[in-house]
Amino acid sequence: MIPEAARAEVLVVDDEIQIRRLLGSVLEEAGYRVRIVETGQAALAEAAARPPDIIVLDLGLPDMPGVEVLRQLRKWNHAPVLILSVFGEENNKVAALDAGADDYLTKPFGENELLARLRALLRRMQPVDDGHPLCFGSVEVDSSRRLVTRHGQPVKLTAREYALLHLFIVHRGKVLTHRFVLSELWGPKSEAQTHYLHVYMTRLRQKLEEEPDTPKFFQTEPGVGYRFTG
Amino acid sequence: MPQIADVRQKQSLIGWNEQKPSPVREYIETVVVIAGVTAMGWFIASHTSHLALGLVYLLAVIALSLRVGRRPVLIAGILSALAWDFLIIPPHFSFLVGNFEDGMMLGTYCVVALVAGQLTARVKAQELNERRREQRATALFHLTRALAATRTLDEAATAFLGQVDAAFNATSALLFTEGSGVLVAHPTNSFLLHEAERNIADWVASHRREAGRFTPLFTSATGFYLPLMLAEDCCGIFVLCPATNAPTLSTVQRELIGDFVAQLTLMIQHERFRIAIERERILAGSEELQRALLDSVAHELKTPLAVLSTAVEKLNTPAEAVQQNMLNEIRTATKRLTRLVNNLLNQSRLESGVLRPRLDWCNVRDVFNAALLELRNTLSFENRITITMPKDMPLLMADAALLEQIIFNLLLNAVSYAPAGTEIALSAGIQNGATARSFVSVADRGPGLPEELRENPFQKFQRPKSARVGGLGLGLSVVRGFVVAQGGEVQAGDNPGGGAVFTVYLPHLLHGSVPNE
Repeated sequence: MIPEAARAEVLVVDDEIQIRRLLGSVLEEAGYRVRIVETGQAALAEAAARPPDIIVLDLGLPDMPGVEVLRQLRKWNHAPVLILSVFGEENNKVAALDAGADDYLTKPFGENELLARLRALLRRMQPVDDGHPLCFGSVEVDSSRRLVTRHGQPVKLTAREYALLHLFIVHRGKVLTHRFVLSELWGPKSEAQTHYLHVYMTRLRQKLEEEPDTPKFFQTEPGVGYRFTG
Repeated sequence: MPQIADVRQKQSLIGWNEQKPSPVREYIETVVVIAGVTAMGWFIASHTSHLALGLVYLLAVIALSLRVGRRPVLIAGILSALAWDFLIIPPHFSFLVGNFEDGMMLGTYCVVALVAGQLTARVKAQELNERRREQRATALFHLTRALAATRTLDEAATAFLGQVDAAFNATSALLFTEGSGVLVAHPTNSFLLHEAERNIADWVASHRREAGRFTPLFTSATGFYLPLMLAEDCCGIFVLCPATNAPTLSTVQRELIGDFVAQLTLMIQHERFRIAIERERILAGSEELQRALLDSVAHELKTPLAVLSTAVEKLNTPAEAVQQNMLNEIRTATKRLTRLVNNLLNQSRLESGVLRPRLDWCNVRDVFNAALLELRNTLSFENRITITMPKDMPLLMADAALLEQIIFNLLLNAVSYAPAGTEIALSAGIQNGATARSFVSVADRGPGLPEELRENPFQKFQRPKSARVGGLGLGLSVVRGFVVAQGGEVQAGDNPGGGAVFTVYLPHLLHGSVPNE
C-alpha cells in the first residue's frame, strides 16, 4: 500500500453522477487520492484551496464552458489537465488544448486508457534531468551535449529538428497542438503553416523511428496535433 | 414569350373603338339619302320614266341596309315608297296613283325594298357576330396556348396578364389570396394598385362581387374588379383597366373576360390539386421513412442493450469462464452501441448543417494509421490490411478528423462484408488529369456491390439484403456527406478481380515551400 501522502491527488470535474462515481472508484482503486466536484466554479475554488496533482475536466459543465475553466485555472495553476470530451467536439478539444490542457479522452473510454494517460501526465511532472540522457527505443538524447544517437550511432539533426525534438521531450506525454508547436518553433506568425510541421515530423520520424510509417514514439492525433510518448 | 408579342402587334383583338354609330345618326343618314335620291328624281323626272326611279330607290335602300340597322332600313323602305308616290309618281303632291301599272309597281317596290333591306341587314348582323365570335375564339386560343406552355402558377399568371393586356389593350393585375387571407399582388402586374385600389380589391374579395368601372359600385375607379371564384372560395382578384374611356363593356367583351377568368381559375384549381397531391406524397413518404427509421433504430439500439443487461445478470455466475465470456459480450455490445450512436450523431450533424470542416494540411499515412487503430480497437477481424501510396505522397488538404471517420467507415464496411482471410487494400495517390485530384481508396475482395445498391450506394438507411451484420445503413451516407462537405467526391465500383472499391477524391492542392533552417 502506497502511503497516503505519497499518492497523487486527482481532482475530477464532471456533472454526470454516474461518471463521477465510476471515475472515483476506478481512480481510488488505482491508488489515487480523489476529490470530486460538479461545477466549474467549484473546481476553481477547490484547486485554489488545495492544488491537486492532476485534474480530470469534463468539457460540458453546467455552469461554464470547460475551456473557460481552463483559462482561469492556467493563470495560477500548472497541474496537468486531462480533458474529457464527447464524440464530435473536435473544435472544443483543440480549443481546450490550446488553452492549456495536456491531453484528452473521448467518451466513452476504457479504464486502462484513462490510467495510462494519467500516468504519462504525472511522469511529465518529474523534471527532465539534464544530467541523464533520455532514452526511447534505441535512441538516446543527451540534452546537455545536444547529442542524439540511435543504436549508438550519432544522428545528424538540423537545429530546428533538434528544437522540435527538445520541445517534445519537455512536453512528453502531452498533446501538442499544431498551433503551439508552430508558434514555438517558427514564431506566432507561422501558426497556420501546418505543412511546415508535417514535413519536419516526417523527417524526424525517418531519423528516429524504427518504422517511420507506423511511428511508435511520435504519434499523430489527426486534426489536433502530435504527442511524444517516449 | 413570342405569342404575346405577336398578339400585341396586331393591336387589341377586341377593339374598344368598335362603337356602334348611335341610332339617331343612322336615322338622319337614312333620311338624307332618301331625300337626296328624291331630289335627284325630282329634277330628272322630266327626262325619264318615273317608274325607273323605283330601281334607284331600291339601290339606295340596299346600300343603306349595309350601313345601318334593321329599323332605319325599314324606315328607309317606307319613307322612299311614300316620297316616290307623293313627289314623283303622277299626280304630283298626292298619294293617289294615276293608273293600275303605277300602283302595281309601287306595291311591288314596297315588298321588295322591305324584304331585301331586312335580309341584307340580317346577313350583315350575322357576319358581324361571326367576326366577333372568331375574335373571341382567337383570343381564347392565344390564351390557352400561352397557359399550356407554363409550368407553374406564377408563370401562368405572367402569361395570363400578357394575353389580357394584348387582347383588351389594357393594363391588368392579379392578386392572389395567400394562406392568411391577405391579397398579394403578382409581381408581373402591369396595373399597379395603390391604397384606394387595394381597398376596392379587398372589398371585392370579401363581398365576392364585381366592382369598379362598368359596374354600379366604385364607379370612379379606373379598373374593373372581378373576384376569381373557386367553388365557394375567392382565390384572388383580377383587375382590368382598359386604355380607352369607353363607358360600357360590350357583351362580347364581357363574355371574353368571363372566358379568360374561367381559364385562369381552372389553372389555379389544377395547381391546387397538384400541390395537394405532392404534399400527400411527401407526407406519406416521410411517415413511411420515419416509421422505418424508428423501427430500425429501435432494433439496433435494443439488440446491444439486451445483450448488456443479460450479460450483466450473468456476471453473477461464479464460473470464471462464463464471466469472461460475458465480459467479452459486454465489450462487443458497448462498441456496437458506440458505433451506432456516433453514426447517428454524424448523420444529424450533416443534416442539421452544423458540420464545418476545418481544412488543413494532413499526412494521409497518419490518418490511415489512426483509422486502423480505431478499427482494431472497435472489433476483431481476420483480414490483412495493406497500405499503398507513392513514396513522395504529398500532404492532403482535408479535415483530418473527418477523413479519419471516412476511412474508418469504409474499412468497417470492408471487414464486415469481405470473407475472413482476404486482403483489404488501402491506398492513396494523386490522379493526374485535366484537374489533378488526390484520392484515397479502400478495396476489398468481398461480394462486391449488391445489385439493389448499385444505383446509389450512399443513400442512407439502405442496406444490402444479404447483410450479415447489424447496422442502420448510415456508414456510407456519412462517408458521402463528409466527403462532399470537404468539396470532394466519392465513387463506388467493382474491384478488378472481384470485390468492391470505394474511392474518395479530394481537390489536390500544393502547399507552399517549407523554410530551410
